[in-house]
Amino acid sequence: MTSVWYKPELADLIISRSDIIFTETQSIISDIVSGRLDISDLVQNMGGVLTSTEPENREKGMRFYTKILKEMPRDYLNEMQVKFISKFYIDRLKDHHCVVPPVLEGYLALIDMTEYKIQNCTDFLPVLFREISCQAQLRQDRYNIYTIMQKLCDKDIEFMKYIGTDFVYGVISAMDGERDPRNLLFLFAFMSNFIKTVPLGHLVDEMFDVISCYFPIDFHPSKDDPAAVTRDDLANALCPCLCAIPQFGDSCMVLLIEKLDSNLRLAKIDSLKLLVESCKTFTPQTYTPFLRALWSSLNREMSHKTDDELKLVAHEALAALVGKMATTADTDQAFENFLKGILISAQTTIADATTVAQFVKGAKVLLTTANASDQSCATITRAMVPAIVAYYELKSTPKLQVASLDLIGDLYECAKNKGLLNEVRAQVSNVPQVCLAAVSRTSKEFQLAGFRTLMRVQDCLGEDLVLPFVEVLIYNVQHALDNDLLSTSVETIHMFARKYPELIMNLVVKGKCNLDNLKQDKMLFQKRLNLLTNLASIDDFTKVIIEQMMKIIIDNDVEASHVVEAMSAQMSEVSVFSTEKVTQIESDHGLIEPVLAWLYREISSSSPDSVAHGFALIANTVGSLPPEKQQNILAKFTPQALERCAQDDVFFSVIECLYSPLHPGVYNSTFEEILKVSLKVALGSENETARSKGCALIAHMLNKAEPGQQFELLYELLKVRLSACNRDDEKLCTRLILLYGWITKALLMRGSEMFLFWLQKIIGTISTTRYCNDAAEAIKLIMSESQEYLSPKQHCRISLLYKQRMFQTFSGLSDNVKQSLTPENKESYLLSWAYVMDKAPKTVLKNEAAKVAPIVIDSLEYSNKDMLVVSLDVLCQFVQASPEHVSSSLNTILPRLINLSKYMQSMDVRIKSLECLYEIANNFRTAYLLPHKQDILLDLAPSLDDKKRLVRSVAVRARSRWFLVGAPGEDKDN
Amino acid sequence: MTKSVADNVNPNIYDKESEREKTAADFDEDVEDLFDEREIFDLIRNINDPEHPLTLEELRVVEESNIRVDNKDNTVVVNFTPTIPHCSMATLIGLSIRVQLLRALPSRFKVTVEVSEGSHVSEHAVNKQLADKERIAAALENKNLVQIINQCIAAA
Repeated sequence: MTSVWYKPELADLIISRSDIIFTETQSIISDIVSGRLDISDLVQNMGGVLTSTEPENREKGMRFYTKILKEMPRDYLNEMQVKFISKFYIDRLKDHHCVVPPVLEGYLALIDMTEYKIQNCTDFLPVLFREISCQAQLRQDRYNIYTIMQKLCDKDIEFMKYIGTDFVYGVISAMDGERDPRNLLFLFAFMSNFIKTVPLGHLVDEMFDVISCYFPIDFHPSKDDPAAVTRDDLANALCPCLCAIPQFGDSCMVLLIEKLDSNLRLAKIDSLKLLVESCKTFTPQTYTPFLRALWSSLNREMSHKTDDELKLVAHEALAALVGKMATTADTDQAFENFLKGILISAQTTIADATTVAQFVKGAKVLLTTANASDQSCATITRAMVPAIVAYYELKSTPKLQVASLDLIGDLYECAKNKGLLNEVRAQVSNVPQVCLAAVSRTSKEFQLAGFRTLMRVQDCLGEDLVLPFVEVLIYNVQHALDNDLLSTSVETIHMFARKYPELIMNLVVKGKCNLDNLKQDKMLFQKRLNLLTNLASIDDFTKVIIEQMMKIIIDNDVEASHVVEAMSAQMSEVSVFSTEKVTQIESDHGLIEPVLAWLYREISSSSPDSVAHGFALIANTVGSLPPEKQQNILAKFTPQALERCAQDDVFFSVIECLYSPLHPGVYNSTFEEILKVSLKVALGSENETARSKGCALIAHMLNKAEPGQQFELLYELLKVRLSACNRDDEKLCTRLILLYGWITKALLMRGSEMFLFWLQKIIGTISTTRYCNDAAEAIKLIMSESQEYLSPKQHCRISLLYKQRMFQTFSGLSDNVKQSLTPENKESYLLSWAYVMDKAPKTVLKNEAAKVAPIVIDSLEYSNKDMLVVSLDVLCQFVQASPEHVSSSLNTILPRLINLSKYMQSMDVRIKSLECLYEIANNFRTAYLLPHKQDILLDLAPSLDDKKRLVRSVAVRARSRWFLVGAPGEDKDN
Repeated sequence: MTKSVADNVNPNIYDKESEREKTAADFDEDVEDLFDEREIFDLIRNINDPEHPLTLEELRVVEESNIRVDNKDNTVVVNFTPTIPHCSMATLIGLSIRVQLLRALPSRFKVTVEVSEGSHVSEHAVNKQLADKERIAAALENKNLVQIINQCIAAA
């Protein structure tokens, strides 16, 4: 039987059984494409419905036709067919209004056809503009009209330009009065391109009027809209339209200045943003007549007292404007006058300032202007630096003087960045003198500011001033007790030393800070050690200083431990000592050997801390060496270390500090031996430090071994050894679980799948009563991060997102344990979760909120401090970011938080629970909160009298916030 | 309620003090921190002036030296200084301070809020109003007044 669409009955079917026939379009299209049915026959069969006297039926007919067109392959119809259908559709535009929507939709599909020729639109557009009043249509149909326009432009913009102002007029009248936010968003995006490409001719003003009526956007999205368009989206889209072409200049300026004077904050912000944007297209001449008005508005906004966002945008606008105007600096007087106005105004502000806030306000304006262009920078630096120097000498208040030093530094840096130092040389030359005056005062603030500014203006420092500065600096290094001042002083000497090496060598290294002269005074000696080690990083000083220090260590002087400490602290600063520098020191002076010798002597007698500095120094030095040198070091020192270690576990630290910082791939035949020793120490030693170092070294070796044979060998050895361990020994089991933690961590970080095996073992023990605490400790270890172990500095492999992976894996595995939990081990289970959550990325937690939230809420019942701190943190995040996941449990959460606000063991927990209560009041809907308000206010009262002040202050914040819940004057949306 | 012109259009502005430094004792669980003048000052320094977008501290309406705390007798006395002697907002400012302390201090303290001596023309009237519990309770029944006070102390 032939299908109905081969017969004229199709028309009746469309009218009577439209629900059925509309589902058949795919079959019809396949018939057409395969050539069994001609499209003209189909249309003929539809004749009855297309020419029906009832508009509803014609609408159905057109809808059917449109559906066919939309689903048809784009390249099927030939040019003649498209033209014919286009004609037909154009004719249909004149039909009853209810027929129009499918016609528009159909024409949209037609434009997409490959064979659609742009000439067809010369017939279509006039009819569209004449017959259809765009704003009288529904939202979707208006959208279709706009899309048609855009598609036509995309198809052949040249042709649209050729149609010219008729088309532009049509577009203007179509969009005039549009109110739907989504359509507007589409239109703004379309218009910003359209205006730039299509000449508007005499319609410039009309176009501007139609767009500018939306400025500034005043729009509040509906609460129920799931994907609401925000006000900012609209404002950002509108902005480029308003300044799309230079012809808009005058009208735009008038609009801008009017809105800048508005009382509405958003109007101001939008206008300022528009000003910034407009500087990209408008000519400088556009602004010239308006400069005075613009400056007075900008100045007013920049001096706003409380609104930081507004101030920021105003500064951006000023920068854009100055930058724009600076392009005419050589030809036009306007720029110069404009600058003068800014200068005078800022100078007045600074001169009148009685507080730092006021001073900074003027300073910021100057800096913004100076940063905006080369010309303004030169003018302002030339005018302001002498003025501020004079201001400094006026001796206003100390705070203002310090601020003025900072401003000089800022201006100088700005000129330097722009390469204008030569132009302002005369003005800045006496700045170092001012710095000297500042550092000669006794107050710490002045000295700090003086040194900081001096370091910024170091290029214009003359040699004659070095001596007085060094006097002050040396005095500071000897006597200053304040750490800030001390480190700044050291930094400044470093700067001097780079600039005048010989001078400092004579003055400092060989003169005042010579080590030999100093040993008498212990305090002085220790203070200067840091300075000297710091200076040793400069090539000219390395030899002299390091040799002196080595001598002290070799002689086993009483001060050796301080020397080691200073070296360890300074040499680990990569910014001071580069890896190359450390390598050079090691190869020139042989640092490791004497330090090791010193360690062997001291290890049993000295305090653990001072020995630890020695190990850190060696580890850092070994870590800085290239792989082949590391091999040499290992070959040289391993035998002795192993021998000593066999005697006493204490010496294992030596092995650890030699082997931990190796590069991946450094390998030799002793590695298996080392692994065996490490295992023995990790599981058998009675010395806790040695045990953890043993574990760490095993982890390092596993992490860094090259994939393939090397890794397999170590891994198998480890597995065999571990499987031989006796599981009945309770002490051993605890240590084993911790070692599993280390192994898991090492494998996880190198991105190996094998970590799963060990993690399963750990998680398995959570459900036991005896070892559940150890399992939680192991999990803590896996998630923790330390500079000392498995860090990039030790060349470890650290795969991306390993914490996220751990979170996901743990989350999956822990489900299995959940059923077998008893009251005894539930706490450990929750604690493990807490450790994982603590370090997992925030975004992951947010995505998993539905799963994590109940665990967090459960944890609040227990009294483990670590767990509570983490749980409260996570809960706080949820309250802020995704309240919907916790809002249903408010009845449970609030009493628990109140309970924790009285948690005696830790003020941290009290503070965090109170913070959480504050956030709840701040983020939840008032309707949820009101039933609890009175209870919470009463329950919070005792916290106001907490014995710790920090707790009290958070309690006050939380309670004051709860007072505002639902009260008049509360600043909240719902 | 909003007045078009403020009483004191161009008040002097002063620097804010830095935040209280946190000492090691603050983090020590075993040390009990007593209430001191600075703590009370911190509670009220950030109250907004009803007329300006400035805090009472920036206008030097409240100063640490004008606060007295006695932990043993449980009393807190706050004296505040209106920016000009005929300031019509003096009562409102005093009320704001009072309400803030009412909400933020434990109930064991007896709080007295007064205008500094000689700084306001109707000093006694203001002090009397601020000392009258019933009048304060009545004032807090007034929705408009509560709204203004809440806005003033929201940032504190």
